[in-house]
Amino acid sequence: MMAALRPRRSAMPGFGITMGVTLTMLSLVVLLPIGALVIKGTAFGPEAVWEVVNRPRTWAALWLSFRLSALAALFNLVFGVLLAWVLVRYRFVGRRLFDAAVDLPFALPTAVAGIALTTLYAPNGVFGSVLAHLGWRVAYTQWGIFVALVFVGLPFVVRTVQPVLATMDRELEEASATLGASRTRTICKVILPMLMPAALTGVALALARAVGEYGSVIFIAGNIPMRTEIAPLLIVIQLEEFNYDAAAAIGLAMLAISFVLLLAINLLQVWSRRRIENA
Amino acid sequence: MPDTVPHAFARHAVSPVTERAWVRHTLIALAATGLAVLVFAPLCVVFQEALAGDWRTALANPDARSAIRLTLTVTAISVPLNAIFGITAAWAITKFEFRGKALLITLIDLPFSVSPVVAGLCLVLLFGANTGIGGWMVAHGHPIIFALPGIVLATLFITFPFVARELIPLMTEQGRTEEEAALSLGASGLRTFATVTLPNIRWALLYGVLLSNARAMGEFGAVAVVSGKIRGQTATMPITIEMLYNEYLSVAAFTLAAVLALLALVTLALKTALELRHADQLAAIGHP
Amino acid sequence: MHIRIDQIAKEFGQTTALHPVSLNVPQGALVALLGPSGSGKTTLLRILGGLEFPTAGRVMFDAIDVSAMSVQDRRAGFVFQSYALFRHMTVFDNIAYGLRARPRATRPPKADIARRVSDLLRLIQLPDIAARYPNQLSGGQRQRVALARALAIEPRLLLLDEPFGALDAQVRKELRQGLRDIHNQTGLTTIFVTHDQEEALSLADLVVVMSMGRIEQIGTPNEIRTAPSTPFVRNFIAA
Repeated sequence: MMAALRPRRSAMPGFGITMGVTLTMLSLVVLLPIGALVIKGTAFGPEAVWEVVNRPRTWAALWLSFRLSALAALFNLVFGVLLAWVLVRYRFVGRRLFDAAVDLPFALPTAVAGIALTTLYAPNGVFGSVLAHLGWRVAYTQWGIFVALVFVGLPFVVRTVQPVLATMDRELEEASATLGASRTRTICKVILPMLMPAALTGVALALARAVGEYGSVIFIAGNIPMRTEIAPLLIVIQLEEFNYDAAAAIGLAMLAISFVLLLAINLLQVWSRRRIENA
Repeated sequence: MPDTVPHAFARHAVSPVTERAWVRHTLIALAATGLAVLVFAPLCVVFQEALAGDWRTALANPDARSAIRLTLTVTAISVPLNAIFGITAAWAITKFEFRGKALLITLIDLPFSVSPVVAGLCLVLLFGANTGIGGWMVAHGHPIIFALPGIVLATLFITFPFVARELIPLMTEQGRTEEEAALSLGASGLRTFATVTLPNIRWALLYGVLLSNARAMGEFGAVAVVSGKIRGQTATMPITIEMLYNEYLSVAAFTLAAVLALLALVTLALKTALELRHADQLAAIGHP
Repeated sequence: MHIRIDQIAKEFGQTTALHPVSLNVPQGALVALLGPSGSGKTTLLRILGGLEFPTAGRVMFDAIDVSAMSVQDRRAGFVFQSYALFRHMTVFDNIAYGLRARPRATRPPKADIARRVSDLLRLIQLPDIAARYPNQLSGGQRQRVALARALAIEPRLLLLDEPFGALDAQVRKELRQGLRDIHNQTGLTTIFVTHDQEEALSLADLVVVMSMGRIEQIGTPNEIRTAPSTPFVRNFIAA
């Protein structure tokens, strides 16, 4: 592999050693372990893998993870664009603090977020008790999972949209205004379409993160099979029962979902780059 | 049409490229409320629950002490390894042309889109006691899974792209000319790196290390799978938080959680300071 | 030093940057590599400096084949188009860089380095800027610092890539004379790349006109002006 990668002689030193370290660590830490999963799945056989994935409990968990991740990502699309807009376009007291706070879900360990959200939304918690009066249970239901996934996905759309909005040429909006468009029309027809590729990239990133999320969800989810049991938890359960084959089968299904999302993210980025170059 | 003049003035009291005051205020209020409910409330509840009880005793507990020690050990091993990987990968990718570069970058980014639990599962399937490598290591007294090496590997997997991702765009943008100038003046490769490249990338490197450090200390899903959760031995801080919480030892759980939350706040403060002071020397700011 | 370029060719993947070219540069000459962008002139200069390695052919410094010699050992003073000054170092540290990079055995003592740097600052007629950083200098000053930095290593030859490219017309004229003066004082074999025919013809002893990776003509400015050997040269000079 090294020989195939080797460039022609270059004045810049260090290709051999840096590429060697890079490929060794990449193989040891990432590629070999993922390879082990793929090999385990292959040895188990496609029919057997499908049998595990097709069990009602597995299917319910995968569908739950994907559906709630998508809903949370959609919520974050709307709220994230709003937040990015407010942070870039308006000046107000506390803006810096808000801006820094957007990254908190990323910096706060997931287990900490998990127990904090559970305490807040439990029937005797600050938010939970109020919502209970309204007859709305959040903790230990699918709503709880939704809240946790909104929390972990919050930074993604904000951080992909923010730089695009900040560097957007004001003359486009002025041109739209001079052509007689109202402010609402300018926002809907000029600004939002230009933000869309970045926002969708953020949605895809948030989705990829949420589908695999574990720590912040398991405390608040209640983990009732068929109802509030997420796919990663099912893997943990299978491992605790030493069902390595079943765990590998579910892991492969999740890996496949990850790859599809990764592909979508890359295509979105190519698309958005092309749109910027055409502009 | 004299009566249209005041009307036109009324319209243009607001700049054509911003919104009316009430719209602005409503949007700001919505953003503030959303952040308060989603972000600030969970943060406050962590400290409130910890301070509600005897957090000093909770911190003095030997299991808590051992968890803190283990988390620091894991971080102290995995973050420098990650930094070394990030630097070597960025050097190879940005200073040379070779086939398969795009594929290599994609593979480095791969851990971002793999579930932490799946990452842990992969490590168990490769190094577990019932596999070839794992069995051999156990037989020789060096188990990987349910031991420190497994926890380090899981942490490395999860934080793998962090440093490389900060450095690659920055070093691509900076190009190779300064390094070429140093080489043409007779400097060796290592000297060129230390005196020319490193000063140019130090803030981005620190930024990447900071993010990777925060994630390493808080990693839960991947570590939960490979740690075996042996109290006092393989239970990191997040794992211990889970065990304490499930035993209804709320104050003890939230005390450890508060320590991690404080670290997260320090990370955010340092990160914000870096973004404000060295924005020009960080290639990609603030992406998660 | 006398330089001989013997059938040098360079390919980048599928594209050919240089067809085999040969060229003799006599000791102490001031040579211009003249041509439009994409003519291969910068590639040739980088091959001489050891920053690129040819696909075929040899480079001789006097009687020594340096084709495989590393950039460090080649000791060619290279002035980059963007100057490539180290932004985090002062002018002093920039100029001293090459001397400090020498192995301990041949590294001059601190006092000698300081003396050498101030001599060079005097040579480029900027004696008072040692403590400044590159971003505090004008374009012309940066160019001269880059030249001083290249001269500090006591180079065997001097290579300049579009040395006046980024400067305005007035500064250009001044610095041209400056380069001529420094060339006369040091006696170094000097090769510079330019796309400006007037600059090449007014400054160089020998002009090498290049196009599409080939050498079209080698001659004195007078020969190039009065007897262009190909239609390309005639058009390029007239432009």
